[in-house]
Amino acid sequence: MTLSTAWFHFSFSDFQYAFLSILLEGLPFLLGGAILSGLLEEFLPQSLMTSLLPKNPRTAIIVSGLLGVIFPVCECGIVPVVRRLLKKGLPVSCGITYMLAAPIVNPLVILSTLAAFRGQGAWEMTILRFGLGFTVAIMAGWIVSYFAPFSILRPGLLAPENDHEHDHSGSGGMVDRLQSTASVATRDFLDVAVYFVIGAAAASLFSTAVNQEIILPLAANPPLAIVSLMGLATILSVCSTTDAFIAATLTTFPMAAKLAFLVFGPMLDFKLLFLYGAAFSKRFILSLALGLFVVIGLLCWRISSLNLAW
Amino acid sequence: MKNSTFLQGLRDSLLLLLWGVFVLWLSFSGQLSTYLHPSLQPYTSAAGVIFLLLAFFGFRSLFTLQVTHEHHEHHGHHECCGNHLGHDHAEQAKEHQHHGAVDGMGAMIFKTILLLLPLAIIVSGKATAYSITTIYNRGVVDNINKLPSAKAGAAAAASAAPFAKSTASVTTVATSDASSSALASSGGPMPLQVIDMLYAVQMPSYREEFEGKEVELIGQYIPMTTGNPKGDRFQAIRMFITCCAADAKPVGVTVEYPKPLKVSEMGWVKITGKPTFPMEGGRRTAVLNATKVEECPAPSEPFVY
Repeated sequence: MTLSTAWFHFSFSDFQYAFLSILLEGLPFLLGGAILSGLLEEFLPQSLMTSLLPKNPRTAIIVSGLLGVIFPVCECGIVPVVRRLLKKGLPVSCGITYMLAAPIVNPLVILSTLAAFRGQGAWEMTILRFGLGFTVAIMAGWIVSYFAPFSILRPGLLAPENDHEHDHSGSGGMVDRLQSTASVATRDFLDVAVYFVIGAAAASLFSTAVNQEIILPLAANPPLAIVSLMGLATILSVCSTTDAFIAATLTTFPMAAKLAFLVFGPMLDFKLLFLYGAAFSKRFILSLALGLFVVIGLLCWRISSLNLAW
Repeated sequence: MKNSTFLQGLRDSLLLLLWGVFVLWLSFSGQLSTYLHPSLQPYTSAAGVIFLLLAFFGFRSLFTLQVTHEHHEHHGHHECCGNHLGHDHAEQAKEHQHHGAVDGMGAMIFKTILLLLPLAIIVSGKATAYSITTIYNRGVVDNINKLPSAKAGAAAAASAAPFAKSTASVTTVATSDASSSALASSGGPMPLQVIDMLYAVQMPSYREEFEGKEVELIGQYIPMTTGNPKGDRFQAIRMFITCCAADAKPVGVTVEYPKPLKVSEMGWVKITGKPTFPMEGGRRTAVLNATKVEECPAPSEPFVY
């Protein structure tokens, strides 16, 4: 089955092929996140996590933004982990900061950005990517801290206080605890996988059907270049550990636009748009998407006007 | 135990079992390479094993629940979870599912269909390669600098492995085309990859190694709709991937062949000819002057990396 217009040529078999590829690539990371979530539920005492975070909310948000450096999870695996941490009592602002920052500040992503931009201002790009990603994540966390958690999260995700749900860490034999870990991992995986399937389908549709050459004429105009590469990052939904290799090849685009691609993509692409639905309300996701788009776009535009020597 | 809780547990375990079986089947049959970069395939294979383990734990949990339920019905006990909290039975059922709410029947059916959809696509066996639609949408890359890691690869190639020392590709290209090594050792045409010719466009020293010599190249046929006034040109392409087929970029060289061809779009062809690197449209380009073009089976490794 094919459908064709000037900029949109759809082939159902191509869509299916890209769809399966994204799923098979992302599944292990999603599963890894779900298993980590199960381990956190079973083995991380609720009191330990809250006692580890600084008492000052703003400092706690900053520390959460840096958690990804020592606790690296890519953007596919981050959602089940954050869901579990929120259920364990992590403040929503810290959870969102960690979720947005981790796919950018983790060491693998830093190394891949350095390697991909070798000869094209690798250090500048890597530092700016890390710095901008971290800053935007913290800004998002600070803003979120002013809102009530129930307006942000899906129902049922708030940390239990005196209700039925309780902390299992430290109870039962090892087999029972593994059983419980597997049970949590299974539920979390399947809950999130539903959104991942929808997100992969959306990403596949756009990555195979949209004529990607339509954005090339936009490269000469910095604001349009930035916007178009953020759009491309959303469409392609590439993993943050490899997206730098794709960005480095967009040679006709200014570096600020590539920076926007590298910061916006890991925070919000098509598959994430749906994956976030496993944890957050639709209204919040839309606000987050709009906010990230505007803030990252404006910051990158500002950076482009600095005429950095790269 | 509530029926809906049991049903959801059973559904979850069966889904994981199916996912595990399908992923491992793709892995053991070698079909994962149709979708993923080799460096990612072990992770997906491992996920297949973990799916089976989770399914095992899921079935075990269902069995334990069933036995506990029967035990409770028989003895009227109210112990569960090892917590001795004295919950009633409805709460116990919830307790065992406390890590996720039990879906309503409509939601359960919808989610089940959605999670079975990818498996149905795998079973259909149709989603194993791109058609020309996506090739046109993504555009064929004929400049090595527009490929991920290309500069690094070229630099390494130039410094570490002069082409003359080996008939194997010096780029980062996968070279598992079965014919390559055999041809090289039998003194036949020099096996070459599409991507080798693109490197050669940028590197004069590399170009000199095979310019004008007889080479053999395998690629997928696509007709040239522009820049082909005589109608004697087509493009031979390979798909270059960074992590999975979803990010595949078609890379191609122009092939000049004056005879009529009956090859289907995206069909695999083996081309014998001599590489040339003329200036066209103000820039150097790669053109393979073919003496023979024949259809061939797809190589075991369809991608270049």
